[in-house]
Amino acid sequence: MIINPSKRILFYIFKPGNPNLTALSNSIPNPEFKIHALSEQAVTLSFGNEISESIATKISNFNKLLNNQPFQGFITTVPAYSTLTVYYDLLTVLYSELRGASSFEKVSNYLNNLKNAAENAFSSAINRIILPVYYGGDFGPDIDNVSNFTKLGVQEIIALHSTAVYKVYMIGFVPGFAYLGGMDEQLATPRKSTPRLVVPAGAVGIAGKQTGIYPLETPGGWQIIGQTPSKLFDAGRLQPSLLKAGDEVKFESISLDEFYKLAGKP
Amino acid sequence: MKISITKPGILTTIQDNGRKNYQAQAVPRSGVLDDLSARIANIAIGNDDNSATLEFTYAAAEFKAEADSLIAYAGDGAFLISEGKKLPPERPIFVPSGSTIKLTNNPEGAITYLAIAGGFDVPEILGSKSTYLTGHFGGYKGRNLQSGDFLSSRKDLTMRSQHILHSLKGNQISWPSWYVNRSRLLPADRKTIRIFPAGEFNWFDSESIINFLSKEFSVGLNSNRMGYQLYGNKISRRKNEELLSTAVCPGTIQVTGNGDVILLMADCQTTGGYPRIGQVAAVDLPLCAQLKPNDSIRFTEISRDTAEILYIEREKQLSDLKLAVASRF
Repeated sequence: MIINPSKRILFYIFKPGNPNLTALSNSIPNPEFKIHALSEQAVTLSFGNEISESIATKISNFNKLLNNQPFQGFITTVPAYSTLTVYYDLLTVLYSELRGASSFEKVSNYLNNLKNAAENAFSSAINRIILPVYYGGDFGPDIDNVSNFTKLGVQEIIALHSTAVYKVYMIGFVPGFAYLGGMDEQLATPRKSTPRLVVPAGAVGIAGKQTGIYPLETPGGWQIIGQTPSKLFDAGRLQPSLLKAGDEVKFESISLDEFYKLAGKP
Repeated sequence: MKISITKPGILTTIQDNGRKNYQAQAVPRSGVLDDLSARIANIAIGNDDNSATLEFTYAAAEFKAEADSLIAYAGDGAFLISEGKKLPPERPIFVPSGSTIKLTNNPEGAITYLAIAGGFDVPEILGSKSTYLTGHFGGYKGRNLQSGDFLSSRKDLTMRSQHILHSLKGNQISWPSWYVNRSRLLPADRKTIRIFPAGEFNWFDSESIINFLSKEFSVGLNSNRMGYQLYGNKISRRKNEELLSTAVCPGTIQVTGNGDVILLMADCQTTGGYPRIGQVAAVDLPLCAQLKPNDSIRFTEISRDTAEILYIEREKQLSDLKLAVASRF
């Protein structure tokens, strides 16, 4: 065996250099959003600092516009309550013909100009997704807690929860988890004092003024009032998350038989 | 080429450079914690940088070559030894079928990457071969590796890999005299982490910011691929606004409600609601990846533009290294 590792260093030529350092920035401030750098390869656009349908609509429209007209080096976007984050490949952006001295300036200029050119040019259809839910019983072990806290009967809870139309503000926390707005405030119930170690995928819960569905089996402290047989997340699907920001959601109360039929179990 | 796991170690997973395109659906990026070491191991055997590697946490693992294999390793969590002899890191190593290889402790760091010519052959899920443990998908059956798992490499080797293999192939373990020097790409001080101010930097009071940028922080015990808890001076706020959940990414430094610091790593959630004081420069994330519980670090401030220039320089160095490897054949 030849073991003769010499301390030889591979030769490399190192040329520091940003080819565009001399280019001038011409960022036009945009009235709709402020831009800051999340990382070297991402910028976040802030559309305000509150949860509102009008901000959500602005974000959703701009998101669609950008995905239809991406810049060179664009990777993906992440919508949230009042922000839209844009991920990009730094080197591709830098060597593109966008104007600016850095990737941040280049992307900012592009986004500002895109918005300026697109005032009110976009209106879009909204997706509504119906989620069947079996409320109470073994699948909704905390519905009595909610009833005790809210002083509402179980049937009233089901009626209030399944008549509202919810807005998906963002997907976060775990794959496919939707932050929903629009729950009737009468249903608001604090989280459980001790979280469960295992909450099954599909569990529908209430935490404070929020309602949501667990897409994966995880630990969790929400008050579980029911379960949906729909798969909120499936890595094998083309769109793994059933819900996306901007969608509308409605729950539909189903019987245990229907639940098993939809879940594909006996 | 093929290996089998004979001892799985603490946490061993398959990782490539992660899945970037599903963050809007809250699918974390995952991928290698220390992208520099993983890329160096791949470059040393002529692979594409992004080929799937084995990520070992600390030492304790053991594997066996089930066929003649061309491998390389890099990182600071372990050294590889075979029949009592240390195998050198950061260079191609030919291991004949039947060789057993153990990992032994390297006190420098935590994570080590094993690359195999062609890359480990596992299905691509959502555009990546990386393991995402919480979601039970990606990598090898969505889980960490266990004893008895067999891992094959892809058959389509690059020309570079074929040349390297040809030059080393024989009936014993062998390696060349050259190596791909990773330490030349790292700063001398590996415990000072460069950051630039994040979105809510101004929400914190000036004393806290001064402390954050000058005092030591130690890495907490409950640190994992999602993130590290850092203990040090508590950080207090001068602005008590609520942050609405917004996108975060590996390298984001959050401050919790009681003033503690969390550094997000590869498996972090895609969104978070804690205010963010800083963002680690991408070139220093490999340093963070190698931290162990109780290690002390400091943060130092640079500008976003400087972080970008450091990134460009690092990429240039890596592409020059690739050319240098190719030029030997």
